[in-house]
Amino acid sequence: MRAFFQRVLRILTSVFDELSDQNAYRRHLAAHGTVHSPQEWRRFQDEHWAAKSRRSRCC
Amino acid sequence: MGKILGRILWAAIALAAAFSMGAVAQSRGEPVNSTWLVIASVCTYLVGYRFYARFIAARVMALDDKRATPAERLRDGHDFEPTNKWIVFGHHFAAIAGPGPLVGPTLAAQFGYLPGFLWIVIGATLGGAIQDFVILFGSLRRDGKSLGQMAREEVGKVGGFTALVTVLLIMIILLAVIGLVVVNALKDSPWGAFTIFATMPIAVFMGLYLRYWRPGKVGEASLIGFILVMSAVWGGQAVAQSATIAPWFTLSGKQLAAALIIYGFLASSLPCWLLLAPRDYLSTFVKLGVVILLGAGIILVRPDLQLPPLTRFIDGTGPIFAGKIFPFCFITIACGAVSGFHALISSGTTPKLLSREQSALGVGYGSMLLESFVAVMALIAAASLQPGVYFAVNSPAGIVGAAPAAATATIANWGFAVSPQEMSSLADQVGEKTLFNRTGGAPSLALGMAHIFVSSTGGQAFMGFWYHFAIMFEALFILTTLDAGTRVGRFMLQDLLGHAWPRLGRTSWMPGILGASAVIVLAWGYFLYQGVVDPLGGINSLWPLFGIANQLLAAVALCVGTTILVKMHGAKFMWVTCVPLVWLVAVCFTAGWQKIFSPIPALGFLAQADQLAAGPQTAVTATLVFNARLDAAVTGIFLVLVATILIDSVRVWAGILGGTRVAKTTETPFVPTRLAEEL
Repeated sequence: MRAFFQRVLRILTSVFDELSDQNAYRRHLAAHGTVHSPQEWRRFQDEHWAAKSRRSRCC
Repeated sequence: MGKILGRILWAAIALAAAFSMGAVAQSRGEPVNSTWLVIASVCTYLVGYRFYARFIAARVMALDDKRATPAERLRDGHDFEPTNKWIVFGHHFAAIAGPGPLVGPTLAAQFGYLPGFLWIVIGATLGGAIQDFVILFGSLRRDGKSLGQMAREEVGKVGGFTALVTVLLIMIILLAVIGLVVVNALKDSPWGAFTIFATMPIAVFMGLYLRYWRPGKVGEASLIGFILVMSAVWGGQAVAQSATIAPWFTLSGKQLAAALIIYGFLASSLPCWLLLAPRDYLSTFVKLGVVILLGAGIILVRPDLQLPPLTRFIDGTGPIFAGKIFPFCFITIACGAVSGFHALISSGTTPKLLSREQSALGVGYGSMLLESFVAVMALIAAASLQPGVYFAVNSPAGIVGAAPAAATATIANWGFAVSPQEMSSLADQVGEKTLFNRTGGAPSLALGMAHIFVSSTGGQAFMGFWYHFAIMFEALFILTTLDAGTRVGRFMLQDLLGHAWPRLGRTSWMPGILGASAVIVLAWGYFLYQGVVDPLGGINSLWPLFGIANQLLAAVALCVGTTILVKMHGAKFMWVTCVPLVWLVAVCFTAGWQKIFSPIPALGFLAQADQLAAGPQTAVTATLVFNARLDAAVTGIFLVLVATILIDSVRVWAGILGGTRVAKTTETPFVPTRLAEEL
């Protein structure tokens, strides 16, 4: 039972990370072979939102 | 043994679905408890998912986990990335869940709760979820291509271009109508207006916080933003009670429309990190939180539905919108059952993240079922209001009269008792001056939600807080769709114009950005203004227009889906998408035809224009006549565009089935997966 709740919690945390772009940021850091810094975050924000803001939103 | 138990369990679920549906449908004369709706819908979804969707996954699509998905083959660390199916589910659901499933069922409750409930559940299970699932599958097998690209490659160039133009036009109508919902919810409401105005500087603060002060701390910034927004909801009461400040936030419909237009322009032109991104984070978390809260509230409170299963307005004489139950119930529910816009998400980010083909079942089909359940909850919240209150809030002054006594008398005449004192007391409880003529669905939904929250948490004194919390949630949600939609519209327009003059297509060229933003904002702003000055409240004309447009986009998606299935299996399984397609075409074309040509002025745009033109002529009348004719023209354009794609698709199907055309598939070849196990 404990393992089940741990798994649920892990999934919820991962969903939160995905929705808050934390996973995307990790992928960005890995793809660029770099580590977190304010400049890198700003670069990620600009790249990520340039693509994200082009996607249609549902009604 | 396990197999037998499984069969017994599924038989029990199917029986529970049938029995609860029967209880909901057969009940007359006494209030039905919302628990029946919850059981009926959940059990139907389970049966639909277990048997119908899995049949399609196995037999029609032949989903294969040994096949590498685009996320694996084209992995780039940006768009394409194999991701855990539950994370993709959360992402997909957050993207497809918009304000439509909340507002549509609330408005459609004018027919009673039964037609809307049946369509939400059946339409989603057999239509909406199938559309999302098939398009996701199609995109998954085509390197994550968009609906427009698939339309061009599967159906033809005409279909692809028409799909692009259709999406742009639909977006303009969508933004106008959701803007109108916000305007009607905040009109003459200093508490509500203050709360929503406060979300703008809060979002800018979050943007600066994330950009410069604590880069990357999205959770932290969202939490601070949420606390500030809740403080604004709480502080709004003091603003509304202040003789000095309240007038600043007591705004007319026209003032609010102007504010929204300016906001839309700024949101489209400013850097994303400053306004769009922080609002998006905040809105997503608030949205998911409120959906969970509402679900828990309904399960705890189990409210009785006060609206009857069917009202007299199934004959087409409804005060909220004109038109008979067929086709207007289906047009009005829109996204709660079938949403064409979902096809854009199913062929957008989602197929680029799925690590296994089988996950498309849960993500594509399952997410739509969850959205449908959100629509059921909205319907329960609206239908748990006293019918007299529901109609007093949602009916425009042009139908029931502007004076409380006249409005309540008209509504009582319809058989729904309500008194001016009752409405006045309710308005006092929620901290509003009046709740009459608050068309658009948002205020009545907020009332229903506030009732549920108050009943589950206790404390009648918090009614005002919960009402404005619900208004804040709806408006925040809608404005996020509005600012993101304006930006997407701007990009689409720049893409189109870029073919004529490449410089205009450059998204870094400021005059191009400002010009395209202005065109998009003015386009939806015009329809918004039209809704604000409409004596019938605007929702009567704009919501059906949006519903028709959205369902027509679903028809486009189903045309593409059917073409894919015909190319795979010939005629054998084309019924999977053809059945919902035929239904949607019947619904949309009937509704479109009636909206243009019905001789009833409340229903037909041209009849309305003729009636206005025959009356006393003023500048306002001339504008209203022009608007009605414009609405007729826009509806006609939608029908022609979709008829074009439909004819093109039928031509392709007939060619393939008749043997005169080669079923050339654009599906990518099989590549075995190298992913050892699910992420």
